[in-house]
Amino acid sequence: MGEYGTVQTAYENGTGPARPTGPPEAPGASWRTTPRPPLVRQREGKVIAGVAKGLADHLGIPVVAVRVALVLTSIPFGAGLAVYVFLWATMREVGTVDPAAPTDPLSPVSTPTSSTGSTTSTTSTTAGTGSSSVRHHVDLASLRTWLRSGNQAVLITLLGVAALAVAGALWLGSAGLDVHAEVILPVVAIVIGAIFFWSQLDDTDTLGARRPVRWIWLVVGLGLTILGLVGLLVRGTNLTELWQVAGAVLAALVGVAVLSAPWILRLWSNLRVEQAARIRATERADIAAHLHDSVLQTLALIQRQSGDAATVARLARAQERQLRSYLYDEDARAGTLGAALTAAMGEVEDLHGVPVQLVVTGDRPMDEHLDALVKAVREATWNAVRHASPPVSTYVEVGPDAVEAFVRDHGAGFDLDTVPDDRAGVRESIIGRMERHGGTARIRRRTDGTEVELRLPVRQPVEPEQPSAATPPADPRSQPTPGSTPDPQTQEQAS
Amino acid sequence: MTDPRTIRIVIVDDHHMFRTGVRAELTSLSATPRNGAFTLEIAGEAGAVESAVQVIKEQQPDVVLLDVHLPGGDGHGGADVIRACTAVQSQAGVPVRFLALSVSDAAEDVIAVIRAGARGYVTKTINAEELLTAIGRVADGDAVFSPRLAGFVLDAFGAAAGEVAEIDEELDRLSAREREVMRLIARGYQYKEVAKELFISVKTVETHVSSVLRKLQLSSRHELTAWAMGRRLL
Repeated sequence: MGEYGTVQTAYENGTGPARPTGPPEAPGASWRTTPRPPLVRQREGKVIAGVAKGLADHLGIPVVAVRVALVLTSIPFGAGLAVYVFLWATMREVGTVDPAAPTDPLSPVSTPTSSTGSTTSTTSTTAGTGSSSVRHHVDLASLRTWLRSGNQAVLITLLGVAALAVAGALWLGSAGLDVHAEVILPVVAIVIGAIFFWSQLDDTDTLGARRPVRWIWLVVGLGLTILGLVGLLVRGTNLTELWQVAGAVLAALVGVAVLSAPWILRLWSNLRVEQAARIRATERADIAAHLHDSVLQTLALIQRQSGDAATVARLARAQERQLRSYLYDEDARAGTLGAALTAAMGEVEDLHGVPVQLVVTGDRPMDEHLDALVKAVREATWNAVRHASPPVSTYVEVGPDAVEAFVRDHGAGFDLDTVPDDRAGVRESIIGRMERHGGTARIRRRTDGTEVELRLPVRQPVEPEQPSAATPPADPRSQPTPGSTPDPQTQEQAS
Repeated sequence: MTDPRTIRIVIVDDHHMFRTGVRAELTSLSATPRNGAFTLEIAGEAGAVESAVQVIKEQQPDVVLLDVHLPGGDGHGGADVIRACTAVQSQAGVPVRFLALSVSDAAEDVIAVIRAGARGYVTKTINAEELLTAIGRVADGDAVFSPRLAGFVLDAFGAAAGEVAEIDEELDRLSAREREVMRLIARGYQYKEVAKELFISVKTVETHVSSVLRKLQLSSRHELTAWAMGRRLL
């Protein structure tokens, strides 16, 4: 019981139970800031069942030391193996646990062994745990890649079983019994096969992220086990009888398989149903959490401010937008012109409470020129919601050689010539900005509203032979060149 | 629209509050005199696919305001109602027209009801006056496109990327004129503003929009069929 031994020693050495009421020593404080990870089996970086890994994480010692200790302690009476099997049976398996992150405080209650773990974690006091766990973490990263690269799991398992075999032989020998190779070898084969087989079984548990089964291990494990069993059964018989026995075993296996197949299938389908139900429940919980965080909060706000129609409309609109982006998964478009425009229009709506109808056709990734376009569109829309009357419509069309934007309102409109010079909004933020980026801006007064038209030539992303590509948009110009602004009307308007 | 006439409508929506709201708005607006007006009679209401089909068959309305998402049926909501009512005629002897009304702007929803046979699609945020205009237009057999639907059409037919049909009858692309009309609608123009902008009559605009609607319903363009297949509409 090597591992327990060290824990016990730490307990008996008795720096005492480090309760919160205990003396606030410096080392005590240092380890309490980085709490011990709970005693759980780790999926990540495991070899057989993750017991050694979990133990090493919990104790803050290198996993190799734990493994060596387990193998060595298996020699006298297989004690290490007993410990291993016991821990395997009782330790809870978890996915990846970041040792740096404190895990949930509820987990130690779930299994008896884990509660043991929590006891040891409160009783053992090590001054250097904090620093060693950091170093350990770094070691783990390299260890994991190393573990995945090779099959040294086989090596460790073989070592373990060899140690067991030696132990068994010694024990039997000391007990005065004969050691028969034809008994030992099949047993060893069965044990190795079972370990291979079960280690894969452990991976395919019913819930959670499932790792692909390494079929070769299953096959090897099964083969070894069957070989071992057959070897045990046919001990002392000759080769001709061996075939008969093998046939009988095969027949029995087939019979069992046929009988149990429907039953297993039903179990399996039940399991799938249960799994699906659980996934649905999780999804529902997610949605419920989202609704609670967003919709219910907004509804509460709306009820409290029900007298203020403008605020209510603004809150409702903002909530609607947020819910839409959640439902239609608009996060997937992050980094595109469409997403940037949606965000900009949402901002305008929030600031002024006037709904803006945004339509975008086509899309392309953002760059600095499109960023300028978005800012100009935002400014134009901002003007529209402030000075004009709704409905305000913004339409952006991403074409092969240009992005065109139209912002339309239904207000009385404004005449650029009558706008005082100190109002830099239209002249600078819209027209000037567009021209600096090689685009054009046009403001049209209509009988029942104003329309701002913006055009920005863009490089064709797939066909570089497009004529518009002759005007490199990556060229930041302060003055519009005649070639880049083909619209004479804009020149007039701007000057 | 020469003499005042009556348009009978049925409101189908699974939210009782919304039905009540629409009914109140339309009734009060329809009561006020307008030019070229029609009076509106709300013939019935329904909240699910089966009851909607029953009410529509009984009442034989001119126009059905149809929510896209409805309980019952085969799970396709409004599209199921439209398909179940294909043979139903209004009291005037013309097919019942459907105007889809939804909170959703999702392409799947739009394409599902339009391809099932709806004459138009507007979002529920539309104001009552525009809704009334849309009802009149649909009752006349014309199509109603919201700016969002127009933008969607431009996207789906590749018109934004510069694809233009060689001949008007081509189903998989928009003609140059249809593209212009769609662009203006996407920019928030009313039909009469589109007409003025393009120097054509409102009737011509309506013809173009109806033609686009037909293409939307019949085209086998990959994007459209993919959406329709996804909803098991084909």
